[in-house]
Amino acid sequence: MDAQYYLQQLVNGICLGGMYALMSVGYSLVYSIMNFSNFAHGGVIMVGAYVGFFALTALHVPFLVAFLLCGLGSGLLAIIIERLVYSPLRKRHAPSLYFIISAMGASIFLENFVIATIDGTPRNYPTIFSNSINIGGLSLGVDSLLMIIVSAVSLLILMFIIQKTKIGLAIRACSYNEKAGTLMGINSSLVIFVVFLMGGILAGFAGMLYGMRFIVKPTIGQVTNKSFVAAVFGGLGSLPGAIVGSLLLGIMEIFVASINSNLRDLFVYALLILVLVIKPSGLMGKVVEDKA
Amino acid sequence: MRKSVKKIIAVILACLMLVALFACGDKKTGGDTIKLGWMGSLTGDQAAYGTCESQTLKMLVEEKNAAGGILGRQIELICYDTKGDAQEAVNVAKRLCAQDKVCAILGPNASGQCIAIQSVLDQYKVSDMSTVATNEKVTVQDGKLKEYNFRVCFLDPQQGKIAGTFVYDNLKFDKAAILYDVNDDYALGLKDNFVKVFTAKGGTIVDEEGYTAGDTDFTAQLTKIKEAGPQIIFTPIFYQDFIMIHKQARTLGIDLPMLGGDGCASEVLFDAADAVDGSYVINHVSLVDPAGDGFRAQYAERWNGAKMELNGYMAHDAFVLWCAAVEKAGSDDPQAIADAYCQVEVDGMAGHIKISSEDHNPVGKSGCVERIDGKNKTYIFETYIAAD
Amino acid sequence: MFSWYYIEGILIQSCYTLLIVLGLSILTGYTGMFSFGHAGFVCIGAYVSVVCTMAFGLPYWLALLIAGLASMLLGAGLGKITLGLKGDYFCIATLGVGEAIRLIFNNLQLSWTARGKVFLLDGAKGIASIPLYTTFGKALLIVAVFLTATALLMNSKHGRSMLAVREDELAAQMSGINTFRSKMLAMCMSALYAGIAGGMLAHYFGYLQPKMFLMTKSTEYTIMVIFGGMGSITGSVLGTVLLCALPELLRAVGDWRLVFYGLAVIIIMIVRPKGLMGGKELPVGKIIRAIGGLFAGKKKDLPPPDSGTDPGEEAQV
Repeated sequence: MDAQYYLQQLVNGICLGGMYALMSVGYSLVYSIMNFSNFAHGGVIMVGAYVGFFALTALHVPFLVAFLLCGLGSGLLAIIIERLVYSPLRKRHAPSLYFIISAMGASIFLENFVIATIDGTPRNYPTIFSNSINIGGLSLGVDSLLMIIVSAVSLLILMFIIQKTKIGLAIRACSYNEKAGTLMGINSSLVIFVVFLMGGILAGFAGMLYGMRFIVKPTIGQVTNKSFVAAVFGGLGSLPGAIVGSLLLGIMEIFVASINSNLRDLFVYALLILVLVIKPSGLMGKVVEDKA
Repeated sequence: MRKSVKKIIAVILACLMLVALFACGDKKTGGDTIKLGWMGSLTGDQAAYGTCESQTLKMLVEEKNAAGGILGRQIELICYDTKGDAQEAVNVAKRLCAQDKVCAILGPNASGQCIAIQSVLDQYKVSDMSTVATNEKVTVQDGKLKEYNFRVCFLDPQQGKIAGTFVYDNLKFDKAAILYDVNDDYALGLKDNFVKVFTAKGGTIVDEEGYTAGDTDFTAQLTKIKEAGPQIIFTPIFYQDFIMIHKQARTLGIDLPMLGGDGCASEVLFDAADAVDGSYVINHVSLVDPAGDGFRAQYAERWNGAKMELNGYMAHDAFVLWCAAVEKAGSDDPQAIADAYCQVEVDGMAGHIKISSEDHNPVGKSGCVERIDGKNKTYIFETYIAAD
Repeated sequence: MFSWYYIEGILIQSCYTLLIVLGLSILTGYTGMFSFGHAGFVCIGAYVSVVCTMAFGLPYWLALLIAGLASMLLGAGLGKITLGLKGDYFCIATLGVGEAIRLIFNNLQLSWTARGKVFLLDGAKGIASIPLYTTFGKALLIVAVFLTATALLMNSKHGRSMLAVREDELAAQMSGINTFRSKMLAMCMSALYAGIAGGMLAHYFGYLQPKMFLMTKSTEYTIMVIFGGMGSITGSVLGTVLLCALPELLRAVGDWRLVFYGLAVIIIMIVRPKGLMGGKELPVGKIIRAIGGLFAGKKKDLPPPDSGTDPGEEAQV
């Protein structure tokens, strides 16, 4: 096993991590602002994959248009879920437990709705980016590269919006204390709308890129479980943390897989438990106190 | 919302559910029909196979009924979806036997499911003729014959031999790697038999990598395989994983051909035609044999141009065998039909079929290997290899 | 219409599911914590019970007991490390544990000879040919025993402590209740129930595979608890009976079953978070409680679980 082999596995790990990153950024965004785990994120990603698939195969639109449609479709879905499922709970200050349960319910609904209406048979995207890039003997697919680029760019744009714009300021204010934010004249509904929209758009992109690289089926929402672990590992509530956690998780997972592929999932969940027991706030996350 | 309104909603919800509970289940008690059951994957990873089987059977049953049915009675085909899950298969089998009281079952298409339903079959004494379940344990386990399990296809030991022979004798390769699903009986059986035959001939297995069903990323394993330098990769898996493995292999710069078993051949492969071009699949029949043209045309006409999968041929053979058994038994008594299976011989799409009473497997089967032609989205026939 | 064999199967499945749901309901309803990985405890119970009966030849009842204890041990261990976590994190941790347990069994390969026969635990292919010990009579008996036990517990000091923890943990602590111990008790109980149910499950199906304990199964149990109402024994019964028996009978619309469940969960959370029974019990419950009261020696009636502090219902207009 020469250096080339290990480098290639490293590249594989980064590619896998790039995928987790794209999925976990949207999830971490919602957590950092709303302080709850949006389990329905996986479902939104899955719907994005389907939207892209049908846009390409049934409507025959060019790739970029399908890509944008995905983002829009998922963004819309995310907002609808927020309005119908989370808003009522938020308005009555329900305990966060209820949010998680509802999110779970929404995720089950989405996955099985797709199974019931379309069906559970896997679908393959038409090959668009089948070529790979070869740098010094190391190969990575164009679709993987795209994932990494989109995650990085999204992160930068999100950080810019949150740190440098007025709406970002409003978002940050509401994440500390929603009531106080409204007292300051911030339209908290608008803030939440924007947050979920951004999260949803990212989910749509993630879904389509995942579908292109792998496969489209109703259960891909469950792949997000691992990106979810990545977000916890990197630190829930921290966007850069989500990316860092994802990349690290991807690399570690690939190395475990290269030793014994059957242990990779177990490793990921063991890591989750370890993180939660030792340092729940993860690598870079914010520490949230329960009651002062 | 007011408390009273909420209470009303809660009560309505509860009532709806109770209504639903009682609203269903009124089975249409048909007249004097012969009930034939079928189960298989109508949804899930192997949906293409199951759908083709059930559609082929529906087509054949319609044809037979139009010609007067069997024993002067009409055939009633009852199909259920196992969703590719063994547990679901058990539930479905119970329903077919206890509820619908079928005289025989055709399918399911997966070994795992066939093995799981054995106890139900034994309890109700209803036979099951599997279409493409190739694992040895389906009919004989630990030296014991399962009374009510049968099949019309070859077995994995035979298929492994076909694979090993093809790679060593026909392709003249002596270094192979294997990538397979470690938890699937089918994949394991096939892999073990391939290894046995291939190494006996003088070949070497340079690397063996596994994955778990549901995994979508194979880059780690493929990179390891590439490092080991094989001439071909043997992939005893199902078509969906076959596609993904090919795509990722090509991305990693691995241009090796791959050999898949009877679980790999499917029209779905051509979704990734460029990636799978040049690889091989083993099959029960040649998918491009001109003798099957009429059958394929009939299927396409009945089902809006749909293309025939391998399972259609096997379903056809199972049906023809069942018809012969029913005629021989002279009734729709499940036990009589089960006994009759070993006493009849038919000519099916996959050759002559005679079920041995020793192991409930067909005698004298052969398999064919075909190369995938990605450009033209079809197969190129390579060779027939005797299973024994 | 339906053959008895068929119905019996559904009833047995309802019985052990009810046991699991009861345990989960205790954990959730009486302590406000949610477990998304309960299938993991069922899994442990199932495997341990099978090892007991098949490898060591122990009688059915003993095997079930040992299975429950094993599960309980795991629950205790898990509780020790995760009960300190904030609500959200606890859920995530249980999710991880549930999956981890399943994956461990997926990879476990054990084979040894005991009493002249080879015993094989084969990873994801699981164990086959398990003796079918679970009959309807036995299942019903077990369920009845546990229902009574639960009702008794809920009327005791321990039960009221758990209720206090659910209503307001901080206040409960200040009242001198050892919240950690209450939560641990709830955790151990729910694990015990799940473990025993696992044993029943294994000896009903006759075979065991790790994929019978996927996360989707955990969520199904969760849904049943929510349906019937958290912290209500009769609610658990109702929820299980409806959601367990229904799928088999509605086989024709099987795909839509889970769609309906997901939707129902959302609606329930919004409209009536207390579930069908609203956290209350049927009068039957009152009778059981009265008996329980006799046992406990005190004749006080237990306040209904949703007294007053209904989050955001009518108060904050």
